[in-house]
Amino acid sequence: MHKAIIIGGSAGSFQVVLRVLGNIPKNYPMPLFLCLHRLKHVREGFVEALSIKSSIPVVEPNDKDLIKPGIAYLAPSNYHMYIEPDYRIALSTEEPVNHSRPSIDISFTSAAYTYKSDLIGIILSGANKDGSLGLKAVADQGGITIVQDPIECQIRTMTESSIKTAKVDYIFSTDQIINFLGKLK
Amino acid sequence: MTVTEQDLQVFINAVKNISAYDFTEYSEKSLMRRLEKVLSDNQMELHEFIKKLTQDSIFLEKTVKDITVNTTELFRDPVAWHMLKYQVIPALSSRDVINIWHAGCSTGQEVYSMLILLCEMNLFDKSNIYATDINTDVIEASKKGIYKYRFNLGYLDNFDKVLKENPNNPGEIKDVSYSKYFEINKVKDIITMNKFLINKPIYKKHDLVRDPNPFEVVYDLILCRNVIIYFNYNLQNKVFGLFYNNLSMDGSLLLGMHESMLGPISSRFEKKAQLYTKSKKFNPV
Repeated sequence: MHKAIIIGGSAGSFQVVLRVLGNIPKNYPMPLFLCLHRLKHVREGFVEALSIKSSIPVVEPNDKDLIKPGIAYLAPSNYHMYIEPDYRIALSTEEPVNHSRPSIDISFTSAAYTYKSDLIGIILSGANKDGSLGLKAVADQGGITIVQDPIECQIRTMTESSIKTAKVDYIFSTDQIINFLGKLK
Repeated sequence: MTVTEQDLQVFINAVKNISAYDFTEYSEKSLMRRLEKVLSDNQMELHEFIKKLTQDSIFLEKTVKDITVNTTELFRDPVAWHMLKYQVIPALSSRDVINIWHAGCSTGQEVYSMLILLCEMNLFDKSNIYATDINTDVIEASKKGIYKYRFNLGYLDNFDKVLKENPNNPGEIKDVSYSKYFEINKVKDIITMNKFLINKPIYKKHDLVRDPNPFEVVYDLILCRNVIIYFNYNLQNKVFGLFYNNLSMDGSLLLGMHESMLGPISSRFEKKAQLYTKSKKFNPV
């Protein structure tokens, strides 16, 4: 059985992602997809910054890379990242969605289609509405939906929009997200 | 408008039946998304859309253009252009003729980047530039050589990084004038390529999925960047076969920053970052 986790975040999510990656168990039994907005000129150094703290490898995948458990796949700067039904990554340079490339909606929607109810979608702090429709797609396919508690978010727009749009299973603090992911098998 | 797997199949089969285009081996999820976008732009339901496709060949051609993606920049990814400038093209410079194919040239920014670089390296005259795309509209745009200015200020940054700066010697700045290659009109908000660049390339419509080598030459360098990402694994490998068969010995294929060759054919190339060279080492006579 395939299982996967997908995390979307924008402004204010970087420290949260660092903490999540730093606390994820080694040899994690499933892949983790990260779709994070970043400034256009921050093309290099991002994956390195995440790798230093992470207990699992963090990679910016190439197109058609086969997805493996225990790896964190970071959507490359300036590309959309699709999760294809043949369990490969597909990248795309089509126009930005919600002013964003990578688009969280694109990654979440394709992952939901591929993993169906075996997907856990998590939306973190951010300043726009990207991710709301993606999280709804996760819920519609029967996956588990988690939103970072807006009270804790540096910027609440993204989490609040997700809560309005999608059926959310859990509203968690960063510690609760870490705890939840640590218990998955 | 949500497109299901069945909808996608209906679309792929319809196109295959009424034309020579074949989207069967495209990346599934991105193709689904493109189809959703085209349906919503046309404000049509699938059955109505398919009906119009079968009855109206102009609409079909337009749809193929809308489904395919055209994103490009002048000197996109300066790191890749540094590799071309300092390694790939110098290795080709002693050849009598240098044949370069831009496969999936889109609106031409990569073609003009290459022309400018060749000019800076004094190899312009002995180079032949071939450029193809599935979409004739973008080929026409490429032939015009006119681009938005303010929207594309990044072009000039890239130009500076590739042609003025030296990555091997930070601080060194070479004086290269923009006006030698293009005119910037801030009032009209456009960049226009100079005529001697516009007149050089040879263009042809070409579909990598089904067409053979579009020109009767072998290539010393093929650039195919951010094109094969829209193809699935099997189709990518077929296209790599086409490139392999039409590269000269020690000729190279340059892919996009996040593209790589994953199939068995990769063993016949020497790989360095996104550059795949058909080297003698892996192809003994």
